Amino acid sequence: MKQFLSVVLFGAAAVALVSAAGTEGGEISFEYHRYEELRKALVSVWLQCPTITRIYTIGESFEGRELLVLEMTDNPGTHEPGEPEFKYIANMHGNEAVGRELLIYLAQYLCNQYQQGNETIIDLIHSTRIHLMPSMNPDGFEKAASQPGEIKDWFVGRSNAQGVDLNRNFPDLDRIIYINEREGGANNHLLQNMKKAVDENTKLAPETKAVIHWIMDIPFVLSANLHGGDVVANYPYDETRTGSTHEYSASPDDVTFKSLAKSYSIYNPVMSDPQRPPCRKNDDDSSFKDGITNGGAWYSVPGGMQDFNYLSSNCFEITLELSCDKFPSEDTLKNYWEQNRNSLVNYIEQVHRGVKGFVRDLQGNGISNATISVEGIDHDLTTAKDGDYWRLLAPGNYKVAASAPGYLTVIKKVAIPYSPATRVDFELESLMERKEEEREELMDWWKMMSETLNF
Amino acid sequence: MASKCIGLLVLFQLLALNVVSQISAFPTPTASADDKTVYNRQLTEERPVQEQIAEADSVKAAVQSAESKRPTVSKDTESEQDLDDLTVLKSLADGQKSKEVTEVPLKKEEQYVPDESDSTKSRRLAEDYDSTKNGMDYGKYQDDPESFRQVDGTPLTAEDIVQKIANKIYEEDDRGVFDRIVSKLLKLGLITDSQADTLEYQVAEALQDLITKNAKNNEIEDIESNGQETRGEQDNQESDANADTWEPPRRRYNEDEEDVDEDDDEIEDEVDRDAEEDRGDTADNTWDKDTEEGNEVSPEDGLQDLQYFPNFYRLLKSLDSDQDTQERETLITIMKTLIDFVKMMVKYGTITPEEGVSYLENLDAMIAMQTKNKLGKSLGPPDFTGPNGKNLDEDDNTKAEAAKMQKEYENLKDSTKEEQPSTETNQPGKSETYLEAIRKNIEWLKKHSKEEGKDDYDLSKLKDFMDQQVDSYIEKGIIAKDEGDTIKRIYSSL
Repeated sequence: MKQFLSVVLFGAAAVALVSAAGTEGGEISFEYHRYEELRKALVSVWLQCPTITRIYTIGESFEGRELLVLEMTDNPGTHEPGEPEFKYIANMHGNEAVGRELLIYLAQYLCNQYQQGNETIIDLIHSTRIHLMPSMNPDGFEKAASQPGEIKDWFVGRSNAQGVDLNRNFPDLDRIIYINEREGGANNHLLQNMKKAVDENTKLAPETKAVIHWIMDIPFVLSANLHGGDVVANYPYDETRTGSTHEYSASPDDVTFKSLAKSYSIYNPVMSDPQRPPCRKNDDDSSFKDGITNGGAWYSVPGGMQDFNYLSSNCFEITLELSCDKFPSEDTLKNYWEQNRNSLVNYIEQVHRGVKGFVRDLQGNGISNATISVEGIDHDLTTAKDGDYWRLLAPGNYKVAASAPGYLTVIKKVAIPYSPATRVDFELESLMERKEEEREELMDWWKMMSETLNF
Repeated sequence: MASKCIGLLVLFQLLALNVVSQISAFPTPTASADDKTVYNRQLTEERPVQEQIAEADSVKAAVQSAESKRPTVSKDTESEQDLDDLTVLKSLADGQKSKEVTEVPLKKEEQYVPDESDSTKSRRLAEDYDSTKNGMDYGKYQDDPESFRQVDGTPLTAEDIVQKIANKIYEEDDRGVFDRIVSKLLKLGLITDSQADTLEYQVAEALQDLITKNAKNNEIEDIESNGQETRGEQDNQESDANADTWEPPRRRYNEDEEDVDEDDDEIEDEVDRDAEEDRGDTADNTWDKDTEEGNEVSPEDGLQDLQYFPNFYRLLKSLDSDQDTQERETLITIMKTLIDFVKMMVKYGTITPEEGVSYLENLDAMIAMQTKNKLGKSLGPPDFTGPNGKNLDEDDNTKAEAAKMQKEYENLKDSTKEEQPSTETNQPGKSETYLEAIRKNIEWLKKHSKEEGKDDYDLSKLKDFMDQQVDSYIEKGIIAKDEGDTIKRIYSSL
């Protein structure tokens, strides 16, 4: 009786201590998050780091769940001129759950590290605007997670609530680019008549539409799309040129993409392990090299989000397959985090590569929607609202040209290291100004002549 | 002759031309719809003005009569009529204050955050956007305790308003209510500073009345020991010196808060303390009502604290035999230590007073549970740090037992956890996580501003910012209303 009583009370005291101390150092708790828990987790990160985070939603899923995004940057809520925009999207296949969890852990990790004074993270957050969308298909996830037992079906919960596979639902711009390659035409921003193509297209799922609007609204520079079912970093193009099931389909930025994909895989010990056996006995991973693969070489995917990003906007996106098992058991989540943490952070840093700067007119005003082209790469980019641009490039010597309608094109030579990004600004002279100049020159000459000849 | 003919011909041609051109100028009476409407419109414009006014009036009357049939639902007309009445009443009723009662924007103020370049922030669902707009109107008609109308729409007198505010403060035990309302009114320019001061006095008075009234009621209900009476007496005093244990932590806590407050108005202090004392009173009374024999311990035992733990008392009573006195003493010491610890946490703002209270209540319930499940396991002694190391060292025999106990209790704790269904939506869990997150933020801010050499971070600005953000998140469906309220509550208690 004596012991027992004291037990109770000291135990109670211990409870007081434990609950008061809380989780030390802000540990991450490695468990699956359903929709409510996901929301709670993001709100908690925001509450812990309100000066560098903001939660917003890009729309609702078919069943009405918010498509939540957590942005992390030094000045959340606004695009700062010259600050590159980055995004991670996960769980577009609802039953590929690892990516979803990794992004939640990443949010918690970045917030904790920021507050603990981690210089790398602090610099990264101050110099980048990072958007994290843990789940593009929350409806599918709920379906997948509701399955009883440990083993989850390969397909249940993959598509959205309407049965649409979101990664086949995007407008197929690959077809168009292949035609343009043969017959001539634009090599970038191929989504013409956007309003009509998107808003009036009844075949697009609400999640797809929301993401397309998001891509059009924010001048994303670099992105990655998190999946499961294998372990590799996949880069454009996903759809084969000839329509065959396997064929290496290089994009104009093949070299750049390989460099970006490798920057993820090298820090993931499983992904970059040359001795890694395939996930399933009969899998064909012949196209995997150093943990990366071209999309078409692996298998053809039409209507995917990755290529859509590249062909409709300035954003370079790769697809990350992060686990052989699409929905592994909860106790493996910690391992997946350990495997991917460094890769996830390092990949964000890749946004600070290549060449970047501003395109302005002679009065110093930024010229938006100016074209940035690189000699030898048949893919142009455009400047954002303030005239700012970011052109990701692998190391080398390049000629970069800035042009805009009504202005004279300027070409600059630049030598680009691996990192950081090289700053190159352009001042464009408008045609009117040039004409004005020439006229003045002519007047001066005339005046001189007349003075000399006295008439 | 020929020339004449030609001349005539020319003339005739000219004439014909004129006629023709004139004919084309004549309005052709085609029966197109456009012409008809034009035709009608002209008629309307020509109607006598009086007629048109009469028509408009009859329409209005019809609308009004329709609306008056549903008096509780729509207060449009009432409000419009009442506006004038109200201002007259106001100026009549109280010469000091003229609280205009146009529209009091309630919880939802205009969003401060401007729409920036990207439309992620402006992107809302159509319904959300619309209901936001209407929300401003609906707020007028709901029974909002902070609105200046009674439920049935009749305008409030000034006294009513003062009473209402005092009631609200009393209920919520939150002086912030007053600040909130006054700041809103000041911001809107509806009252001047001096009027605000006057309002303060009046609210303070009303609150004081409320408290004494309730205290008297509570005193009458009391049948128990001196403790209650002592408290009753203290209510009437306004001195700080107070042997009662529950008052000091809260008072100290709020005093700390008041240091941060810019306003040092004495009357406000009084209101504050009164509110606290009263809260202590009501809390005590709740406990009292719950227990049957809770207050049988005499104050000489120095156990005033512990009378709020009826189950614990039952335990103690069962230890009345001589051989158990030491055990009894130990238990009492432990319990007091626990309470002190909780008080400390409250004082330093780690938890809110409410949370401290609920924690201790839970503790008592836990003791009740344990008295039911009697256990007698003895375990090996792992590492153990008590909440207050001194006590352990003083009692050697408790140290060994303590080790076992902690292990014991942790096992119990774990099993309780498993028993609960994984309802992650339960409120306490959520608010704990949020509380934890907010605490980390505050800690970091404190550390950060110290490092930067700045003065203390601006807590009130942070609070305002967070309130705004919470509101905008609720609007967009990112957090639920109750969660938002929890967060605001946590921030307001800092």
